Amino acid sequence: MSSKSLNKEKLGFIYKLFKAMQKNNLNYIYRGTFTSKITDNILNLAETNLVHKDDPRALKRKVYNVMVEGLQNITKHQADIEINVEDNFGVFVLKKEHAKYFITTGNIIENEHIESLTKQINQVNRLDKDGLKAFHKEVLLHGKISSKGGAGLGLIDMARKSGNNLSFSFEKVDDNLSYFYLHTEIPSIGGIKSNKKGNNPDTIKYISALHRMLNDENVLIIFNSYFNQESLMNLLSIIEKQMLESVMQKKRIYNTMVEMFQNIIQHGDDYKETPDGKAGLFYISETDSEYYLNTGNYILNSKIEKLSAKLDHVNSMDHEELDDFYEERLLDFDIDTNKEAGLGIIDIRIKTGSKLDFDFLNIDGKYSFYTLRARISKI
Amino acid sequence: MKSLHIEADDDTPKVYLDPDAGIFLLEGKSLPENAFDFYEPILKWVEAFFNSENTTQKTAVNFNLDYFNTASSKQIAKLLKIIENSPASETVTVKWHYDEEDTDMLKAGKRYGKLIKIHFEFIENPEED
Repeated sequence: MSSKSLNKEKLGFIYKLFKAMQKNNLNYIYRGTFTSKITDNILNLAETNLVHKDDPRALKRKVYNVMVEGLQNITKHQADIEINVEDNFGVFVLKKEHAKYFITTGNIIENEHIESLTKQINQVNRLDKDGLKAFHKEVLLHGKISSKGGAGLGLIDMARKSGNNLSFSFEKVDDNLSYFYLHTEIPSIGGIKSNKKGNNPDTIKYISALHRMLNDENVLIIFNSYFNQESLMNLLSIIEKQMLESVMQKKRIYNTMVEMFQNIIQHGDDYKETPDGKAGLFYISETDSEYYLNTGNYILNSKIEKLSAKLDHVNSMDHEELDDFYEERLLDFDIDTNKEAGLGIIDIRIKTGSKLDFDFLNIDGKYSFYTLRARISKI
Repeated sequence: MKSLHIEADDDTPKVYLDPDAGIFLLEGKSLPENAFDFYEPILKWVEAFFNSENTTQKTAVNFNLDYFNTASSKQIAKLLKIIENSPASETVTVKWHYDEEDTDMLKAGKRYGKLIKIHFEFIENPEED
């Protein structure tokens, strides 16, 4: 069992990640294998939670279309390479800043393709709207540059649909393989009319650095947005389709996510008032033996003492005591409102069989950042 | 008494309480954000029905849930308590359905069976293909 100080250090990572993502306004990161089902769910999540309701329809459609192309690019390429599954994990990042959307994908490619990819992207970037249209037609008819499953078309479509250049970079993994990052920014409607093209060169650098951080911690999925029932339901359906674990393990992950999310929905506090829910971060990471489910959100300093005591109390109990406590609370109809049943933390503790790690990081006189980690054994 | 039918949603179960057909069923997933409000009309219906006079015949109340959150677990406890405290408590059987590998669901049913004095039956669902 890990020591308390180690846990604190690990929990510090949650805040570090949250801050890093806030600063760059990263809303959603998925790292893992991409299947068509996962792709569909990511698109659903984007529609309901990541792309802002008030954005013009034309912009939303653009974002959606570019996401589809980017995700399909990863799906096509990952199948080509036979290596250890984990090293083959792709990454998809969606970020929004000032009505502008940033989409980045990253996937493993063989080094021998670097040259032709570079050529293709440079060629695409040189063309204007009409040029891209003509090029698209030519490739469609003659399949000229597409020696690898139509990759050429995907790039042309991404450029066409985003109305912007494609940025890219390659990060060498070894003599045979590299990570290929592809990035584009979708300007707001006004920006589309003004013919200005170009991406912020820092973003792609930042994302490849973040990707390394996620690889080190083996983070599978990150959701940095508003906690509400809708985002929970969408994430659950991604998890259901993504995880290849036994039914029971999936259920435990599902169960723990529901309780963690709903705890934040009910008890989290708004650092800044928003109508969309409580801002926070959720991510899942794994080791060989365990899954870690992590949440981070703001709470009022005045709540810390009581919450901390409750967590310590639940952590101190053995199986039997936990069962008794659960039953007592289950039938305690004095604690029964539309906000509280009083059972969430006890339930997580019983079903995961592990102690909960937690920490409070003081932000200011009023708020702290509360991090909670549940561990689910893979055995 | 009029029956109560609620269609299943992504986060709420199908509710089918139909005295004429002799079917009392909660089925699917139950993880609403606000379980208190979702279960309120259901509890009212159960309270009215099981305290009415025509409840001397044997009745099976079926729970066939894939999943429920802790907020729902409290509402289910309330529902069962209402039956326990009604004149129908002797004639009602709770049929608790679960999937073979879902030991947590069986455990949850056994817990209710221990805490609530109504007759419980535990029924393993046939395997799906």
